[in-house]
Amino acid sequence: MNNKGQAVHGGGIKHHELELSGWPLVVGIGSLLVPFAFMAHFSWHQTFPGIFLAGVALLVLLIGLFGWTSQIYSKELDVGLSKVAIIIFICSEAALFGGLFGGYIYNMLPMEIWPPITTPEGVPPLGLPLFLTVILLSSSATIYKAEQDLEDDEMGSFIGWLLFTLILGILFLLGQAREWYHLIEKGFTVSTDEYGTFFYLITGFHGSHVLVGVVLQLFILLLGFSGKIDKDKSTILKATGYYWHFVDIVWLLVLSLIYIVPYRG
Amino acid sequence: MREQPSGLKTWIFTTDHKKIAVLYLITACVFFFVGLLLATVMRTDQLFPAGSKFLNGELYNVVFTIHGAAMVLFWMIPVLLGFFGNLLIPLMIGARDVAFPRLNALSFWFYLGAGIIAVLGLLLPGRLDFGWTGYPPLSVITNTNTALYVFAVHLLGASSIAGSVNLITTIVTMRAPGMTWGRLNLAVWGIMGASIIQIIGIPVLAAAVTLLLFDKYLGTHFYDASMGGSALLYQNLFWFYAHPAVYVVALPVFGIVSEIISTFSRKPIFGYISMVIAIMVITVLGFEVWIHHLYVAGTANWARVLFMWGTILIGVPTGIKVFNWLATLHKGSIEFSTPMLHALGFISLFTIGGVTGIANGLLGIDIQVHDTHWVVAHFHYVLALSMSMLAIGGIYFWFPKFTGRMCSERLGKIAFWLTIIGALVAFAPQFYLGVKGVPRRYWIIPAEYAGYMRIGSIFSYIAITGFLLSLINFLYSAINGERAPSNPWNSKSLEWQIPSPAPFYNFDKIPVITEGPYEYGKPQGKES
Repeated sequence: MNNKGQAVHGGGIKHHELELSGWPLVVGIGSLLVPFAFMAHFSWHQTFPGIFLAGVALLVLLIGLFGWTSQIYSKELDVGLSKVAIIIFICSEAALFGGLFGGYIYNMLPMEIWPPITTPEGVPPLGLPLFLTVILLSSSATIYKAEQDLEDDEMGSFIGWLLFTLILGILFLLGQAREWYHLIEKGFTVSTDEYGTFFYLITGFHGSHVLVGVVLQLFILLLGFSGKIDKDKSTILKATGYYWHFVDIVWLLVLSLIYIVPYRG
Repeated sequence: MREQPSGLKTWIFTTDHKKIAVLYLITACVFFFVGLLLATVMRTDQLFPAGSKFLNGELYNVVFTIHGAAMVLFWMIPVLLGFFGNLLIPLMIGARDVAFPRLNALSFWFYLGAGIIAVLGLLLPGRLDFGWTGYPPLSVITNTNTALYVFAVHLLGASSIAGSVNLITTIVTMRAPGMTWGRLNLAVWGIMGASIIQIIGIPVLAAAVTLLLFDKYLGTHFYDASMGGSALLYQNLFWFYAHPAVYVVALPVFGIVSEIISTFSRKPIFGYISMVIAIMVITVLGFEVWIHHLYVAGTANWARVLFMWGTILIGVPTGIKVFNWLATLHKGSIEFSTPMLHALGFISLFTIGGVTGIANGLLGIDIQVHDTHWVVAHFHYVLALSMSMLAIGGIYFWFPKFTGRMCSERLGKIAFWLTIIGALVAFAPQFYLGVKGVPRRYWIIPAEYAGYMRIGSIFSYIAITGFLLSLINFLYSAINGERAPSNPWNSKSLEWQIPSPAPFYNFDKIPVITEGPYEYGKPQGKES
């Protein structure tokens, strides 16, 4: 790690290339609008302004992130610091899921019957989740293959494998959505009981992480099509790869704790 | 050397770590001022006997809620990690900026956004009145606008996580050649430890308040015992972060005290390695104490005893640090400058708070004093007064480096003596009230204890005056102070080897480090 730091300075790279950037402020404003959109609907019962504000917030956030990333890819050199940063960030994410799983176990352990008797028959299902496991695990392998191809400068193959990963990720999300839809039809919702509450919470948090991964992959794919990514600018792909593997590991925990432990045959 | 752009837009669009640090400092000082103002309101309320008070009970709840949130979340943590972290880390490790300058700016804007929401919590209907802890079921079943609380925590959390990822990445990857781990300033180690706690702790707090949001607005039952949930789950998740949050404040403070004491004793810091180990032990052990907030909440006995041990054990590395500071002072050639006075004041206040903390951590004593004025007195000594005092001292110390001007020493010393005299007495009566079992957070103080509270109130005014004088001193000296030389304190640390104020690009040439930061007393101590 130390060598890397020395390379940053010693290589004569001006790390701090830019003096001014308005994009952080734009993203900050967008993020500040989200709470107000939420409160407009839930606290002040003004649904239309709430939806309007949410739209504005999303737009501002998208503009901010787009401006930010285009600034990155227009002039800066890739010195690979994000690889360290993403590992630290993943530790943070691990703590988040640790808290959620901790809460789930905290509620489950004192119970004699889990899930509670109020949970409808046939919940949790196991067939579809197992299929989704296969999909997600394979996508970890395909993104690794994409990384290798980028290292070897095989751009065509890299884009192919990344596209494949992206499709697997979207398939996973569709499968999860289908499962939620069926369960809600069966009358199993967040308000059913403790199990329902935690079921949707944890699968939902995990699903949102898959969504972030898919968006990142889509973004890299666009970079790939426009030729802005190559073997010397591969940090974003590596970082996304680490993140994707992490989401994969979390899924294994979701599968075992949320689906297999309460499974009633 | 690059030209420094100027004008207002260089502050709004800046990505320079020193400017962002100053933005953090200004915002944090505004919240410090708000917190002091609310403290004055509460203290004045306590002057009068029951019945003639000018606050009603509901307003009193709002005032102590916002006072706590403003002081802990918007003053102490941001000033220590946001201001000192941003200002010191690149300068001390020999880098030109943090690893992700834009992300750094975003951290600040998140923090400011959270601050705006918190102020709205004081002003908008549905004012936050459930204490800074936000315990359910109170925060779920009343008409309070809990969303304000939750989103303030979310934005602040996003700010802290982004900031901490940034600082740790900077320390790991961007140290100048020769800046080995053993040559880092203790302030860098302290900020590193605090950032690690932020990384692990904040997501859990964010999860806790997110579930609160879901319970209140989306009909889930995480904390609803009648539906199989558990309100205690919130307390566990909350204190998993909120207790280590004390160390988020304390670890940078410990580092800064070491810098000041070593510099003004003209001696190398005593026991550098043990200081670093102590910081890291506190970082880890900090996560094994939170149950002591739940001793009387029906927690299982094995957990209470286990966490009691953790609570007491954490006194050991803390004690090592205090003894090391005293050993550094021993036979040093001490100069009682304003920063040094603040560091010594910190040690005395912190020791009072620390020793009562050990007592408080003992299960038997806590059952008696839990949720009484004892606890209020304890954490005001250990956290609020001592660490605010040191944060002020740290600002005095590095003031020349980020403004290029000297602070008024005379005004600084007057402010220090007012603060320390007020602080030593302001909360002392509350220990007695606590032992007698007077509960905290009550609007009315029993008549037989009103006299004690009045003494506390009067001395708290003195302390608050001291703090305000320091803030005035900063404002005044930033405009009218004498021009500062590059190294007014004759420090050996890296940040003092460049001009004051630190130039735009920090280092003309990235320095090559050959020595640690505390090499005092050598005939020809070289510093690159």
